[in-house]
Amino acid sequence: MRHLNKLRLATLAIIFAMLVLLPFLSIYQSYRAAYAYDLLAPAEQQFYDVMEWLSEPFTDDPAADLDMLKGTTWSANIFGLKLSDPLAVVGQMAAGGRVYAPFLLSALIPIILSVLLGRFFCGWICPATGLYELNSALSRWLRALGLRSPARHFDLRFKYGVLAVGLLLSMVTGSIFFALIYPPAIIGRELYYAIALGGFGAGAVFFVLTLLFDLLVARRGFCRYLCPGGALYSLLGRYRLLRIARKVEQCNDCTKCDVVCEFGLQPMRDGFGQECNNCTACMAVCPTDALAFRFAVTDLPAQGAGHLGRTHLRHGASPAEGED
Amino acid sequence: MQRRAFLGDLIQGAVAAATLGAVASNAAAAPGVRRYLRPPGALAEDDFTAQCIHCGQCAEVCPNRCIRYFGLENGLASADTPYIIPREQACILCMKCGEVCPSGAIQPVPREAEAILDKIHMGTARVDQRICLSWQGKTCGVCYRACPLPDIAIRVGRLEQPHVLDGCVGCGICERSCIQIPQAIRIIPDRGGTKMSTA
Repeated sequence: MRHLNKLRLATLAIIFAMLVLLPFLSIYQSYRAAYAYDLLAPAEQQFYDVMEWLSEPFTDDPAADLDMLKGTTWSANIFGLKLSDPLAVVGQMAAGGRVYAPFLLSALIPIILSVLLGRFFCGWICPATGLYELNSALSRWLRALGLRSPARHFDLRFKYGVLAVGLLLSMVTGSIFFALIYPPAIIGRELYYAIALGGFGAGAVFFVLTLLFDLLVARRGFCRYLCPGGALYSLLGRYRLLRIARKVEQCNDCTKCDVVCEFGLQPMRDGFGQECNNCTACMAVCPTDALAFRFAVTDLPAQGAGHLGRTHLRHGASPAEGED
Repeated sequence: MQRRAFLGDLIQGAVAAATLGAVASNAAAAPGVRRYLRPPGALAEDDFTAQCIHCGQCAEVCPNRCIRYFGLENGLASADTPYIIPREQACILCMKCGEVCPSGAIQPVPREAEAILDKIHMGTARVDQRICLSWQGKTCGVCYRACPLPDIAIRVGRLEQPHVLDGCVGCGICERSCIQIPQAIRIIPDRGGTKMSTA
């Protein structure tokens, strides 16, 4: 179980690497389509050779096979299967006031997975997550150097307001508003702009602002308090089947899980709720393996102090010990 | 639609003025002044901006790399939506963008002459006879040679003088290939768009 977090970080790294690779493949494809290897500049020929070497093992007919993988974490085409973010579908419905069935269908798999697994997209797929976690690490390093960030706390429900306002703005402007402010939409697109079109767009500025917000105002603040996609996924995953639960008999109240939780939840006091994205960071950090997956539609009710913790050992196993 | 457009302009103006200062407000004041095309199979302009989710796959799949994206210069609703400037790089009607588009903003159209003629209306070419070489007596005919739909979209008369026909879908290859500077043939955009398929 404790290796799941490493698996998650590896998944995030692979997804980010794909987002970087796809624009290069797109350029390579345009070179192939142009049939003019001899007319390419030497640097372009080197690029062509590298991309050919990279893609050759996976393609029989590059002209067709390289089209099999397109898109970003916002909306992607994977071997003919179209997958889209539910937020894109909801936003499009608000902007256009109608349902385009093929598009709705493309969000079906993500919706089903979110209903079963909760907000897993945030922890396991979103390409911003890795960057935000690095940002949190930077914040810790700065603290070690004596530069404290205020680490403010707000109401976690604020993001549902952002979702509502975003839908309203989409409706009013007749254009999907979330694409401008939603990191999983921004990052893939901006990487494409930077690599294939020669420069970042406005989205990159917005993303850097969210990084600064996280660093200077609230740890992981954008995901916790502002992200409209996180809000939608939280709602979808409210009654998810897969949950992390605490084995109270093994818990020693060391608070490591509470500290490591990027979303500011309280695994040590069974406080998971709909915000938990099953990222398993708390499971990885737990010294007594007290956190494990459980299949149920609700969290365990508060179980009080851990049985290996000081509070419990001092007051015995009296059921009346309650919360701290 | 009119109220939406008004409110849209209002918000657009407010956002631009509040956040982006002179540059963006300048752009918001004159949306759509650039002569651009939407990709082949795109819906009518209002529907297009409503349906498009700004995912960027149309450009990623375009083998000719003719699809670019707006920043904020064409208004907030157009931000990150695809466009084509035919003089810079024209559409080769490969129809891959409609195939890859998940949102229906670019409708899938099969890569067959009948379907393309029936469904695609990116614009119509227009010849400026005052600068066209053939019309000035210097036999050229490059636009006719470049056209993917010769004798359907364009035909040539005496001295290779081009005449645009009703079949023109506005791909812009003629404008791209015109050897005169400035170009003597240009696509006048028709953003009335393709009808959304009910399937």
